[in-house]
Amino acid sequence: MLKIFLNTIFRKLYLQKGYSLINILGLATGITCSILILLWVQYELSFDSFHENKDKLYAVYENQSYADGETFTVYSTPAPLAEKLKKDITEIDKATRISKPWGKLMLSSGGATYMDGSGLCVDPDFFKMFSFPVLLGDPNLLMPNERSIVISEKMSKKYFGETNPLGKIISINSNFEYRISAVLKDSPKNSSFYFEYLLPFNFIKENWEFDLNNWDSHAFLTIIQVKNNSYIPNLETKVKPYIKQNIEYSNTDLALQPFSDYHLHSISGKKLSPILYVHIFALVAFIILLIACFNYMNLSTARSERRGKEVAVRKVVGAQKRGLFALFMAESVLISLLAFGLALVLVELLLPFFKELTQRDLSLNLSDPNLLLSFIGIVLFTGFISGSYPALFLSSFKPIRILKGKLYSDSNLFRRLMVITQFTISVGLIICTSVIYRQLDYLQDKDIGYQKDNIIYIEMMDNFQDQYSKLKESLIKIPGVVKVTAANQMPINFSNATSDVSWKNKPKDDESVLFQLSFVDYDFIETFEMEVIDGRGFSSEQGVDSLKLIINETAAAAMKMSDTIGEKVKIWNYDGEVIGIVKDFNFNSLQVGVKPLIMLISSDEFKYIAIKTDGNEQPIINKIGETWKTYYPSIPFKYRLLRDDFSYLYKAESRMSSIFISFTLIALIISSLGLFGLSSYIIEKKYKEMGIRKVFGAEFQDLFKSFLIRFLKWILLANLIAWPISYFLMQWWLAGFAYRIHISWLEFIGAGALSTLIAFFTVFYQSYKISSITPIKAIRHE
Amino acid sequence: MIKTNNLVKKFRTDDVETTALNNVNLEINEGEFVAIMGPSGCGKSTLLNILGLLDTPTSGELFFNQEQVEHYSERQQTKLRKNNIGFVFQSFNLIEELTVYENIELPLLYMKVSSSERKRRVNEALERMKITHRAKHFPQQLSGGQQQRTAIARAVITNPKLILADEPTGNLDSANGEEVMNLLTQLNENGTTIVMVTHSPSDADSSNRIIQLFDGHIITENMRQKL
Repeated sequence: MLKIFLNTIFRKLYLQKGYSLINILGLATGITCSILILLWVQYELSFDSFHENKDKLYAVYENQSYADGETFTVYSTPAPLAEKLKKDITEIDKATRISKPWGKLMLSSGGATYMDGSGLCVDPDFFKMFSFPVLLGDPNLLMPNERSIVISEKMSKKYFGETNPLGKIISINSNFEYRISAVLKDSPKNSSFYFEYLLPFNFIKENWEFDLNNWDSHAFLTIIQVKNNSYIPNLETKVKPYIKQNIEYSNTDLALQPFSDYHLHSISGKKLSPILYVHIFALVAFIILLIACFNYMNLSTARSERRGKEVAVRKVVGAQKRGLFALFMAESVLISLLAFGLALVLVELLLPFFKELTQRDLSLNLSDPNLLLSFIGIVLFTGFISGSYPALFLSSFKPIRILKGKLYSDSNLFRRLMVITQFTISVGLIICTSVIYRQLDYLQDKDIGYQKDNIIYIEMMDNFQDQYSKLKESLIKIPGVVKVTAANQMPINFSNATSDVSWKNKPKDDESVLFQLSFVDYDFIETFEMEVIDGRGFSSEQGVDSLKLIINETAAAAMKMSDTIGEKVKIWNYDGEVIGIVKDFNFNSLQVGVKPLIMLISSDEFKYIAIKTDGNEQPIINKIGETWKTYYPSIPFKYRLLRDDFSYLYKAESRMSSIFISFTLIALIISSLGLFGLSSYIIEKKYKEMGIRKVFGAEFQDLFKSFLIRFLKWILLANLIAWPISYFLMQWWLAGFAYRIHISWLEFIGAGALSTLIAFFTVFYQSYKISSITPIKAIRHE
Repeated sequence: MIKTNNLVKKFRTDDVETTALNNVNLEINEGEFVAIMGPSGCGKSTLLNILGLLDTPTSGELFFNQEQVEHYSERQQTKLRKNNIGFVFQSFNLIEELTVYENIELPLLYMKVSSSERKRRVNEALERMKITHRAKHFPQQLSGGQQQRTAIARAVITNPKLILADEPTGNLDSANGEEVMNLLTQLNENGTTIVMVTHSPSDADSSNRIIQLFDGHIITENMRQKL
């Protein structure tokens, strides 16, 4: 029986080659997209899941409240917090502070010196809390003392090749010596923490003379581990007041985030957090699969005219409805299985490109039980969903009606709904893609208020200031170098902030405005071509400009002074004077708006040198490198391009949009295929009618018109449904950006036009087909 | 009015070729009522379809009003058809989504007749066929006889010179069949040429010439005097 069953199905597939191909290809495309997205989603969800204690770990974060009603949410906490929490709260078992070193470090051992390694400073609990596998060293005592360094396998190979590095000395900045106490396996790609070496947290104190008992400076990530079964809301209440308890007039409360949410969930409640993209893409995968299934349904029911006779004959010779249902179902599951096989091949072929697109280390691991289960799910889902309607439809044919040539009850609500849904999805996708594309394009091209092109910058070692003025003099002499300046941070990401600023008429002890603070050199404003709109810029000709301040428009507005120029402003204990106001420029991602900013000259804080060139970068960079060597022969010359780093700010968004746009295009293609299938269904159904019309004088244009009107009604309805849905969806998405485009009515008209065009061409093709056969063939079609 | 020279029609499937019409030569004059008879599968309907330009011959010539038409383009065929020929089928071939009124109106729409003129002519036809009270009904709601009368009304609405009828009574009971034959005879008496395919000798009695077909050949042609 089974043999006959399979034989019939395969024979049918073979006899209707073209139709089988469209069906299998359509489904395979849908399944391929779904698998790719599934792999990505699975990867994103797997972040940090390899830590054994993952369910007991929490990140501590701060909610800082400001007068403008805004809450500033950051992971930066004071250094003494971790130890204090661990000591005071019994539910907390372990705690570690985690910090990147505050500046570039030069690590050398033997003859090898590198500057590009990425390290973290951590507390000893770090190793008991997180599960980074140990290659060499005592797993129970990975960092035995304050002079130990733990390195990764990669770093070990880089510095020592195949020799055992344990016990070897690494010197940092030629100042401190650390002994290698353990080697860890490289951190997995799906880890939130990536490091090549781990230093004792005390290094922050030693190298930067930072007081680790200072509650005022919020600069470190604190992660805690709870004992089993601690009731968390209660714990959060206990943790909440720790900043206010230790700092007078603090505006800051603490809160906890499960560490498993660290990678995907935003603590600030920002809508565009990665988890949103995970959800969106899971939805897109589902929609694509659904569209592919719809297509199958459309195409199979379109064929039902031809299958009708088969059903009738089978019924006449004794087939039951149930048996026929099973036959058609089996057929569709088999087709979906074939499509799945093809999809697996496609996934293997496309995976390298998709990895590039997503920047994720994805792999198709068929031995992963979860993945296998999902795959079985996909095959069954596709098979059942796409087979359900055709099977039900075909198996319920009344044999005598079919043999007499009457197939249908005409109005079929279900299919109309299906068609309209498919059109609606397509139209919605077109609109959303267009809006997302335009928004991201806008961000890339927006006038950010300063010049980011032709600027290279170099991150400095500590204490380079002695040589800086001479270096600057030499650099400016290089032909092609236009300006040279220095600062504590580059405008792509200002992160130094304080609310300890006072001015005339400021409400007493009100720390409710957070000012970004930037320490810059003369020429900073000129190098980045920022615009001074009031007062003047910094100038070395007017005597020493230290303690002279330049603020941005937003800061001037926040201070609410009638004439800001010449006003005294006190920062910490230093008295400054405002000499100029600079036009607002964006020093953060454009998702965030412009914040109040104060700039002042202070050479002690410089960390970067920025050099503006006349555009011909490479030869100039070589010259800069040579000059660099004469001043810092032992420090490797490493530079970055500001423009590249700027693009990097939008990498996540632009990556998401490329993925989104790719899949939307695929969805559209599948959807158009579906419309094609659908129009062939309708025309199949209307074959006889068209034949009659032809007999009585209808020409091509008459047939075309009558089909088009039918389709246009559906398209119009689909547009009317899709427009408001996509409008609100996109409004909501755009609200996550401080700078955003307006949704244009053209987008809606365009989507309407495009969907009409797709229908137009399909109908044109089908009408042409029908009008080119003799009327009698059409009439006798059944 | 119609003349054929060595008309041949062959049907091909992958490896079988069937000759449906083999060197058919016939001539039909204006005002005649011709019945084509013969056993099932002898090519009656094929011949009728080719005469009505619904199908194309494999070879041979077809003249309509002295004009050679078998090589006509799709467009020319349509034009000739809609201005000169009306069709009546055994299975009525009414469009299920259209009312009786709209079905009858259809050929006029394709002839771009003005709406007031359409209205006048459709109402006239409805009356003539005695189905005015059924104008707003859909075909499924009518009896077979009413459906065929609708089909005849559709066929005559353009005042064609020629009506081709393919077993017009085949799906009707005898009373309705007789009524349909009366209508056709009446039309013929008013000058319309009629070519009818039929199995029924009594229907053929209404004609004034019977052409007998067998295996694609004309075997006899009998002129008859109507009773």
